Amino acid sequence: MDSVITVIVGLIQVLVILALAPLLTGIIRKTKARTQKRIGASILQPYYDLLKLVRKDEVISDQTSWIFRACPWINFTTMTTAAFFIPVFLAYTPFGLVGDLILVIGLFALGRFFTMLAGLDVASSFGGLGSSREMMISSLLEPALFLSIFVVAITYGGTNLSTLISASSNSSFLPHPQILFAAIGLFIIILGETGRLPFDNPATHLELTMVHETMILEYSGKSLALMEWSQSIKQIILFTLMINIFVPWGISSSILLSTLVIGFLTFIGKISLFGIFVAFLESSVAKWRLFRIPDLIAIAIATSMIGIVLCYL
Amino acid sequence: MISNLILFQIPILLFVIGALSGLLSRNSRLARPMIFVPSMIGSIFTIVFSIGIITGTQLKLVIPHILPLFDLEIFVDGISAFFMLIIGLVSFAVSLYSIGYSKEYEIQKRISAFGFLFNIFILSMILVVSSNNSFFFLIFWELMSLVSFFLVIYDHDKEENLKSGMTYLVMTHLGTAFIFTSFVLGYVQTGSFSFDSFRHGSTGFPLLVKNLVFVFAFIGFGTKAGMVPLHVWLPKAHPSAPSNVSALMSAVMIKIGIYGMIRTIFDFSGFGASPDFAWWGMLLVSIGSASAIIGVLYAVVERDIKRALAFSSIENIGIILVGLGLSVVFTSFHLTAFAVLALVASMYHTINHAVFKGLLFMGAGSVVSVTHTKNIEHLGGLVKQMPWTSLLFLIGAISISGLPPFNGFISEWFTLQALLSSYHIPSTILQISIAFASLPFALTIGIAAATFVKLFGMTFLSKTRSKNIVNIKEVPRSMILGMSILAAVCVLFGVVPYLGTSLISTAFHMSFQQSSPLDFISVQNSSGKSFANLSIPVVVIILSSVSIAIFGFIRVLSGHTKKTTYSTWDCGFGSLNERMEYTPTSLSQPIRAVFKVFFKPHNQTEKESFGENPYLLKTVKVETMIKNIFEEMLYTPIVSSFVFFFDKVRKLQTGKINAYLLYIMITLVLLLLFVRLSNNG
Repeated sequence: MDSVITVIVGLIQVLVILALAPLLTGIIRKTKARTQKRIGASILQPYYDLLKLVRKDEVISDQTSWIFRACPWINFTTMTTAAFFIPVFLAYTPFGLVGDLILVIGLFALGRFFTMLAGLDVASSFGGLGSSREMMISSLLEPALFLSIFVVAITYGGTNLSTLISASSNSSFLPHPQILFAAIGLFIIILGETGRLPFDNPATHLELTMVHETMILEYSGKSLALMEWSQSIKQIILFTLMINIFVPWGISSSILLSTLVIGFLTFIGKISLFGIFVAFLESSVAKWRLFRIPDLIAIAIATSMIGIVLCYL
Repeated sequence: MISNLILFQIPILLFVIGALSGLLSRNSRLARPMIFVPSMIGSIFTIVFSIGIITGTQLKLVIPHILPLFDLEIFVDGISAFFMLIIGLVSFAVSLYSIGYSKEYEIQKRISAFGFLFNIFILSMILVVSSNNSFFFLIFWELMSLVSFFLVIYDHDKEENLKSGMTYLVMTHLGTAFIFTSFVLGYVQTGSFSFDSFRHGSTGFPLLVKNLVFVFAFIGFGTKAGMVPLHVWLPKAHPSAPSNVSALMSAVMIKIGIYGMIRTIFDFSGFGASPDFAWWGMLLVSIGSASAIIGVLYAVVERDIKRALAFSSIENIGIILVGLGLSVVFTSFHLTAFAVLALVASMYHTINHAVFKGLLFMGAGSVVSVTHTKNIEHLGGLVKQMPWTSLLFLIGAISISGLPPFNGFISEWFTLQALLSSYHIPSTILQISIAFASLPFALTIGIAAATFVKLFGMTFLSKTRSKNIVNIKEVPRSMILGMSILAAVCVLFGVVPYLGTSLISTAFHMSFQQSSPLDFISVQNSSGKSFANLSIPVVVIILSSVSIAIFGFIRVLSGHTKKTTYSTWDCGFGSLNERMEYTPTSLSQPIRAVFKVFFKPHNQTEKESFGENPYLLKTVKVETMIKNIFEEMLYTPIVSSFVFFFDKVRKLQTGKINAYLLYIMITLVLLLLFVRLSNNG
């Protein structure tokens, strides 16, 4: 009976991620609008957009192959599958035995692999441009991400997210100095992975600046909805990981209704605050030139390296 | 029940039959089946035999004094059988593929020599892994090297191929010299050429000899495996050979180098669980991660599809060496459980790389055989004309990029876990250095995915970039079937990792925890909690149920919608054409720019203008080149200093008979002096 409840709570966590993903995007957009002295669209606007797109007819390029058509489905499936392994408001998940943090990164990479191929598939110069930039950024982010995971995994004793988050929720604030360095590294990487400023500007359609948007330029209708939604899911997963690893306060460590409710409410609060923080940060920096991005990633790598050295000293 | 000995003899006999029928067939119409059917059946028997050895008993056979002083000793244990399984598996698929592929050679009337060499090549690899005597090991090793040399220069009408062949020949003999030295050291200590005496006597070697045996074997076998900086032959030889041979060389032959390394380290070098040997592992880890990152950096900027695959072989050998090195480090500190994990990682990647690199080379061969170009700048859009080849190549590309749920992910997951487990090592310096070695390793995985996005995307997707590539047809069925076998293995070893882990743990006599196909893989941390878990079958179940659920959900939500096909968005200017597409060079330009310290890219622009006005251009030619730092900074100086030295020596050879008489007299005087002085002493 206990295990059944755990599985149910685990599935609820997945649904929470899927359902709240567009909301987080909405919160970020609203905050950015307010910082720019605009009223901005409602925070529910991403839901309306998704619903509108799903009901629209699609236009598909005549140059494309099955890869272009399969890509949105593959992206959505991989992101949703990754959500199964993320503890959200409960410090562990029943699916922790199935996959770990490295699998989550692998699933993200699978989605990105197909997105880059879809960008090339349309035979326009835009798609190639996006894929080319994404190739560079993603291949540099991968080692940075792995190194910060290295620090966290060694400190908390596992890449298994249940072990990891349970250990971090049991420890006091900033138990080890290396965690601070890992947090800085991981924060930079998350900005890059989710395509936010200063890596990529998600709000523009200008070929000088865009990365992710160019690859999905040819999508419309359902396919675009799926691509947008899966990007939001990826964003909320990474933000959840960030807050649950580094500020795990309030997360429920047992399946009691009271702690679960507290866990859920603090999760909503923390993720919104984090989203607002990211939005403020985005409003205060400009997009960096593409070839300065490696410098930023190098900072992430360097901080993680310091973290590793601190682990062992 | 047929005995193991007969099962061992059948494939040898079949490969010999295949080789002879190749010679005797005289390019007749039946030549292709006569050559490749025996090798297919022989490969099946090799697989059956090796599985029999892995699950059953070892095979030991001694034929005394087959040559004066030397016994022919055959010994097949789990390790040999594991590598024999790889040989059998890939050879089977490649032989099947070759039936269709070598039609080209039939037209050129050169198939009989090819058939002979092809069969002998596979046979020599089987004999190398099964021989148990250093003399015969070296004979078979030389046979393998020479036959593969002839296969590399098989298309000898191109001068480039001859040059690659020469580089290969020189490098492979350099390697053999080191292996020979390593064996001679063993002989000096034990007084016997038999591997058995090395095995028993090696624990008694002095530490210096143990170290030397390891270092010489490491350099020798590492040359064959293609590790940096001894890799220069690999990106030349593999693209020059016919694609089915490239598949065999890259998938199997370089693994024989890994086999030699494992044999030497764990059997002949007196390696034991003592921190004295930790530096061996660190050497393997550092050379491995250097090979991985350097290989993949060259692969990502490469425009020749086969050369890119060859560079990626260097990368994968690097990954294998990292796993092997970690296993050595863990063993030397008595961390048996993690040593097993690292060795499983390394061997899992060995078999994986054999499978997907064989598949990718065959896929590249299919593309080359229909388009007659290896340059991906001229390719594109083949997914519509070659749907099967593109699908199978995509499976290979996803696997080699280390993406779930295919087999590359499993071995890279194991290797990453082995790297993470380095925190158990009781030495801070080693811990930190292994952590730093994981930086290039992780960078490699990222760039490898980019490489295969480029290779697949530029070859198969978007519009064709060249006007010559029209009316392309899908390749014959036997070629597709050959590739499908390896693609199926890629999927199988990814979805059911139990197959691989149980195979490796049985072959190497280790205990690895997974007890049933559905059991999850787990790594424990020091407090006994789960460090990491993985169960790919369940992941696949989640993936498929999510995709079905979301398909239904979107269907219900969207109601009835239409799909319209229209041309790609061209910003309203009209007529997007293939000249506006991204090219492979421009696609990898950001990576080239980021690593410009390494590539040292330089552009050369030639302009020709009408008359005086420099702005009225007739032609513009831009050439982008990268520097190959190893050839320019390491090999060119060595080769040119040799040439310089022997140029001076050549002056002795004047062609005048009185000069030669003078040399003879000088020699005589010196010899007489020598005799005189040594008598006195």
